[in-house]
Amino acid sequence: MVVITTKKPFEEVLDTLKNINRITIVSCATCAALCQTGGTEGAKEMSEKLKEKGFDITTVVVSEDVCDNRVMMKDLRKIDEELSNTDAILTLACGLGVQSVIKVLKKKHPELPVFTANNTEFIGMTERIGRFYKRCAGCGDCLLNETGGICPITTCAKGLMNGPCGGMVKGKCEVGNYEKDCGWVLIYERLKELGRLDLFSKLRAPRDWSESGHQQEVIFR
Amino acid sequence: MTEQKIYSKVGEALAKGEFVLTGELEPEKTCDLSHTIQEAKEMAPYVHAANVTDSPLAIVTINSLAASHIIQEATGIETVWQLTVRDCNKIGLAGMIMGAEALGINNVLSLCGDHTALGDCPESKPVFDMDSATLIQLVREMVDTGSINGKEIEHPPKMHVGGAANPNADPMEAEILKIGRKAEAGCEFIQTQVVYDLDRTIEFLEGIQKYKVPIFLGIFPMKSYGIAKGFDMFVPGVDVPKEILARWKSVKTDISDKAQQKEAYDQLNYEFFKPFISELKSKNLLAGVHCMAVHYTRIFPKLVDVIKA
Repeated sequence: MVVITTKKPFEEVLDTLKNINRITIVSCATCAALCQTGGTEGAKEMSEKLKEKGFDITTVVVSEDVCDNRVMMKDLRKIDEELSNTDAILTLACGLGVQSVIKVLKKKHPELPVFTANNTEFIGMTERIGRFYKRCAGCGDCLLNETGGICPITTCAKGLMNGPCGGMVKGKCEVGNYEKDCGWVLIYERLKELGRLDLFSKLRAPRDWSESGHQQEVIFR
Repeated sequence: MTEQKIYSKVGEALAKGEFVLTGELEPEKTCDLSHTIQEAKEMAPYVHAANVTDSPLAIVTINSLAASHIIQEATGIETVWQLTVRDCNKIGLAGMIMGAEALGINNVLSLCGDHTALGDCPESKPVFDMDSATLIQLVREMVDTGSINGKEIEHPPKMHVGGAANPNADPMEAEILKIGRKAEAGCEFIQTQVVYDLDRTIEFLEGIQKYKVPIFLGIFPMKSYGIAKGFDMFVPGVDVPKEILARWKSVKTDISDKAQQKEAYDQLNYEFFKPFISELKSKNLLAGVHCMAVHYTRIFPKLVDVIKA
């Protein structure tokens, strides 16, 4: 599993960093490295580009798990002195990374703004490096046992519970000019293969949002 | 129909076993409905009701509930209010269903709706909280039990709910099984996508016959060669057969007088659809016809003859 990120346009990053001179880069060596939006290489590339634009790079931290508060605390403790001499932190990680850094620095450096150079796209399945597919939305109510292991939330453009819709033509989806497979036709074909069209025929209730339409947490006690 | 309660002319016709003819009105991006009202007046003498579309192709038009009400008030035609699940969540949909009752709308067609990405506000959120089958279920819950999620509605809505089906769908079996879900949800009538392929239509209608939902066959009489060609090119999944296109083309090329051209097109539609519908009627596969040819109201007198076949 990889949290898939893409780079924000550099102009947008520069715009975010307006009126800032000294920058600390925190780069993720895990998911973002795989997406070529972080890691050692990504941090090096961003440092050079920012230097060219006249920024001072105070320091660079490449961390294994930017999203893990414990790892981040340990890694940021090592550069505590540098953090006192920086104007902002730029993370090359996913959205979790930014928020993890903010949380960890809240006590000692609450004045430091933390920005991201990336857009977080989705939880991705890796086919090979550079080819990632959204196949799970983390919706909290997994249907895969009933849909032949194909997720209608992510493979159907409308996330329908009772597809295919009228936008399916010859097994393809109306979204994206009929180039992508219709998720519900994939489900139909898979269930047919498994001899389980009874599952396909089932009328499914709408997704229950009562537990997922707000801040979510999982706490093991 | 699973229940014989009658809330509209369409419901009454179905209960009596009358062959139903419905038309289609497509309000455009304007708050002035005079053109649509004019078309409604022209088709009113011939149809049981007319569908009023809900921002087809996700291109913003006047709200279909407001339009349905205004058209009914102005012309006396009964409407089949089209409602998609694209733009509202369950709360919004249920509220509109109650609003429809208050506005005198007694037929609703439950649709998924073209994806927002296709339309003129592609940045807007595609809602799809429900789908076309569960919306049917919601309407039936509100109408039949007078409640929503077990909570009583003081004056519940009274309306008939229909759904759509696509006989052109490939794979067909997936579409047939989907209609089974709609039937289970309480669908009272089906209006199909436009068809031109008789064999395929028979196969499909025979496939869904077991669900015992009355079927209104979707047809699109073509007003001109240009319309026929455009329909063939731009409506995904519906192919106008080549021999038909050739016949329509010959009218355009061989007849120069406009009035004669019109007559010829009308006659071609008559000649094509009459045996088509006769065949399906003789097999007891139809409960009605839904004519989707907007801006072609002059065809209705001929259509009445076509469906009498």
